[in-house]
Amino acid sequence: MIIGSQKPIEEIWDMVKDFKKVLVFGCNTCVAVCHAGGEKEAETIASLIRMRAAQEGKAMEVNHMGVMRHCEPEYFDPVLDEVRKYDLVLSTACGVGVNFLSERIGNVPVYPGINTSFYGAVEAPGRFVELCAGCGNCILHLTGGICPVARCSKTLMNGPCGGTNKGKCEVSQEIDCAWYLIVERMKKLGTLDRLSEVLPARNWSTSRDGGPRRVSLEHIREYEEREEKKVEQAGGKKQ
Amino acid sequence: MAPLKAEEYPKPYRPYGADIKETRPYSPCRAACPAHTDVQAYVGLIAQGRYNEAFEVITSVNPIASVCSMICHHPCEQACRRCAIDEPLAVRHLKRFAIEKSADYRRNKRRLVEKTKGKSVGIIGSGPSGLTAANDLANFGYNVTIYERHPVLGGMLASAIPPYRLPREVLKEDIDDVTAKGIEVRTNCEIGKDVKLKDLVGKHEAVLIAIGLSQSRSLNIPGAEGPGVMLAIPFLEDVAFDRKPKLGDKVLVIGGGNVAMDVARTARRLGVEDVSMVCLESAEEMPAWKWEVDEAIEEGIRINHRWGPKAVRREGDKVLGLEVVKVKSVFDQSGRFNPSFDNDVTTVLDADTIIITIGQMSDLSFLKDSSVKLDERGRVVWDPATQMSSARGVFVSGEVVTGPGSAIAAVANGHRAAIAVHLFCQGEGIEGRLPDQEKEKISQMPADVAGKIEREPRLAIKHIAPEVRCDSMVHFEIGYDEEEALKEAGRCRACGGGAVVDQKKCMACLTCMRVCPYGAPVVASVSEIRPEYCQACGLCSPECPAQAISMVSYDVREIRNTMHQIIGAIDQKRQEPVIAAFVCTHHVGVFGFDLPKNVRAVPVHCTSRIDILDMLKAFESGADGVAVVRCDNTICKYRGIEHRVSARVGRVKELLGMLKIGSDRVELLPVKSGNGGNPYASVCEDFSGRIKQIGLRQSK
Ligand SMILES: Cc1cc2nc3c(=O)[nH]c(=O)nc-3n(C[C@H](O)[C@H](O)[C@H](O)COP(=O)(O)OP(=O)(O)OC[C@H]3O[C@@H](n4cnc5c(N)ncnc54)[C@H](O)[C@@H]3O)c2cc1C
Ligand code: SF4
Ligand code: SF4
Ligand code: SF4
Repeated sequence: MIIGSQKPIEEIWDMVKDFKKVLVFGCNTCVAVCHAGGEKEAETIASLIRMRAAQEGKAMEVNHMGVMRHCEPEYFDPVLDEVRKYDLVLSTACGVGVNFLSERIGNVPVYPGINTSFYGAVEAPGRFVELCAGCGNCILHLTGGICPVARCSKTLMNGPCGGTNKGKCEVSQEIDCAWYLIVERMKKLGTLDRLSEVLPARNWSTSRDGGPRRVSLEHIREYEEREEKKVEQAGGKKQ
Repeated sequence: MAPLKAEEYPKPYRPYGADIKETRPYSPCRAACPAHTDVQAYVGLIAQGRYNEAFEVITSVNPIASVCSMICHHPCEQACRRCAIDEPLAVRHLKRFAIEKSADYRRNKRRLVEKTKGKSVGIIGSGPSGLTAANDLANFGYNVTIYERHPVLGGMLASAIPPYRLPREVLKEDIDDVTAKGIEVRTNCEIGKDVKLKDLVGKHEAVLIAIGLSQSRSLNIPGAEGPGVMLAIPFLEDVAFDRKPKLGDKVLVIGGGNVAMDVARTARRLGVEDVSMVCLESAEEMPAWKWEVDEAIEEGIRINHRWGPKAVRREGDKVLGLEVVKVKSVFDQSGRFNPSFDNDVTTVLDADTIIITIGQMSDLSFLKDSSVKLDERGRVVWDPATQMSSARGVFVSGEVVTGPGSAIAAVANGHRAAIAVHLFCQGEGIEGRLPDQEKEKISQMPADVAGKIEREPRLAIKHIAPEVRCDSMVHFEIGYDEEEALKEAGRCRACGGGAVVDQKKCMACLTCMRVCPYGAPVVASVSEIRPEYCQACGLCSPECPAQAISMVSYDVREIRNTMHQIIGAIDQKRQEPVIAAFVCTHHVGVFGFDLPKNVRAVPVHCTSRIDILDMLKAFESGADGVAVVRCDNTICKYRGIEHRVSARVGRVKELLGMLKIGSDRVELLPVKSGNGGNPYASVCEDFSGRIKQIGLRQSK
């Protein structure tokens, strides 16, 4: 899931200080699980902003709200009229949610309340780790289930490099060497010999290098578009 | 004073969370109470020092709350989930405490109720059942008349239960609450003798017969008729109405039930030294409550078990004793009462006075030839689904139809009858609309959970010493003082008052499952918190990132939303800092509520319920400092609390640092009680001193 982390209150204050009526809008899925931007954190941030405003002697109305997800319209549509009553929406969803809501809200600015960090897992309560980079062309079957794109500091396809040091990466003692992990894992699986095959240079166009990406499922879209057209012809509004 | 409008009086008191509770299984204490008194709610309110609200919770379903606080056989205690840990809560005694504490509040709120219905109801009998129905129907806006053959209201409570267990001024408080609503009272009026049933039916839109079981059964044995042999109810009535019954020097009471205990113990208090009892049952089989038997034995009363009465030995008017025969068994194979005797073994028990206490029955002679039918055994024919007799508009309730039971069961039946009468008077159908007695309840405490809870024995109820108490009819039981009551209330595990998940908000993050020390939440597609496991500590609620968890009782949101009022207006020229102190009510004793003036106490069920947001809210409301005052680990009622609470305080420190308000303005203060003085006040005072040093917050 998507892992986020909170922004320092001063940075938030700089964003919001010139608005009169601010809504801190939480997202109760991924970023809630990592205690960054769920309804509870939204309320906390709202409280901090109110106190900051009081310190500056600024009259400001700051409220909070939360919906299940900001990345699907059905979740926020029911409250959109309410949301539009504010001068500023500080969304504590991930960047996806901020973009998505921003496109649909109309003339109200939507600002990011948190930093979107990565796709990760909950290693232990309160500890989240990055395990995948979303490169668009998965090779985990070749690397013992450990991703060199996300977990090797240099994204090497044929590692390790000379910087590997007792299982740690030369970039930091805090980082495990992904290729060390890959080798150890494949030893255990009895598939180490496969590493003698050199992985060819990758085509990164499926990743960020190919520009913004989109997945469109034809079998679903075909039907949906027909339905949307019908609604449009009948004078209804296209979503 | 102008009467309140019926619609607005009395607003049935709804404690926080009451509506959620209705949709969930009841705590076993509540389910066991015939009137479904929300024990968990009022015990919790007592623990927070909110006595008037506790009174409201109790009296919202029980108009004879004072009486019950003295004499209820408390089925709630027998059902208490704490039995799986050590001993049940002293629920009845806590009720007594709350009611005594709220005496002035209660007297001040007595009001006349406006009669809006334009219809009248006649109630025959003023025992718990008739009184309850009168109370409810007055609240609905009916003109109510009570007809009572005795000179005072109260039924058995006034005429039979001896004053050493139920002081009459206690009963009067309850009766005054009811009659204050504007009820016509006709005492010394026996229906059938002074007024005919027919006349009542003609006068009122509906009539309720609530005449109880006011006659004693007698024994059909030789010698039973004549001087020296009495029946229980007339004997107790004589005592109640100060008619001084004549007893000899050796009183023998026949019977093994609670009424027999009352008779024997009353005889002791009339100056008879030698009081004994005889019953069919062994000590284990006796129907009397064990505590009644123990108290009687303390008072020097002897009990002859497993003998059946055969004949009263007498010489003319003088009783010599009771001839008894050995009992072989009391119950038959299928457990039915069906005594068998060994006729070869007999003996004579010495006595000059014998009191027969083997059960009661109703006097239904006034119903002969009336439209109210009796069955072949002489009992009133009625329909429990409508509370109606065979005569349209003539209703029945209480022991006359339910048979012998308890005062609170008669109350419950009175409520039902009142609803039935009301529906009838409004021309509506009754069937299917009267409340069910059976309620779904939370099951007993799982052993693994019980094992995690500290043992903490129940605070014993004190009595006047037997040597002293037998000298008079003075009430023999001593109430809790405030410190005792708060301690005992703190033992409640708040069953059914715990965590509930709003499943529309839950996104199955597993946090609650990880946090809970008792394994209550199970997260599948969404979290479900199992009430039989939940100990209502509240630890999970502030941790839920989706704010999906609320607490049924004492949800801190109740506090958060009123924090501005709790803190009050901030005086810009104040000399002393304004401190918000979240105080755990457990073990606080009387101390916790007596804090320095500049400290705003926020009593919480456990500090585990306090959220980062609650502390922030206090600062937002202008507090100069926030103290979280929790019990020391050795006395904390819950386990595994301290680290999470201190982590939350740590986070608030971090946030206050970011805001440059100062991270030292919030502190976690563990307190040990029992070292004399008021440790809660002194930690708050010290903290307040430190905040003064840091300085008072200025606002722009
Ligand atoms: C000695 C004794 C001790 C008890 N101790 C306890 C206890 O500790 N705890 C507990 O919970 N319960 C106790 N009970 C039981 C409790 O008193 C009854 O459950 C309760 O009183 C039943 O209420 P009721 O309203 O049905 O009838 P009652 O209380 O019997 O009231 C009926 C009323 O109707 C009146 N009446 C009858 N006929 C007429 C008529 N024709 N015209 C006018 N008025 C009439 C009677 O005078 C009486 O006042 C005790 C009972 C007795 C006898
Ligand atoms: S512990 Fe409290 S809530 Fe639970 S059954 Fe006992 S009295 Fe009722
Ligand atoms: S902590 Fe809240 S959101 Fe997470 S599983 Fe529990 S109830 Fe659901
Ligand atoms: S943490 Fe406490 S309140 Fe929450 S489910 Fe567990 S026992 Fe109940």
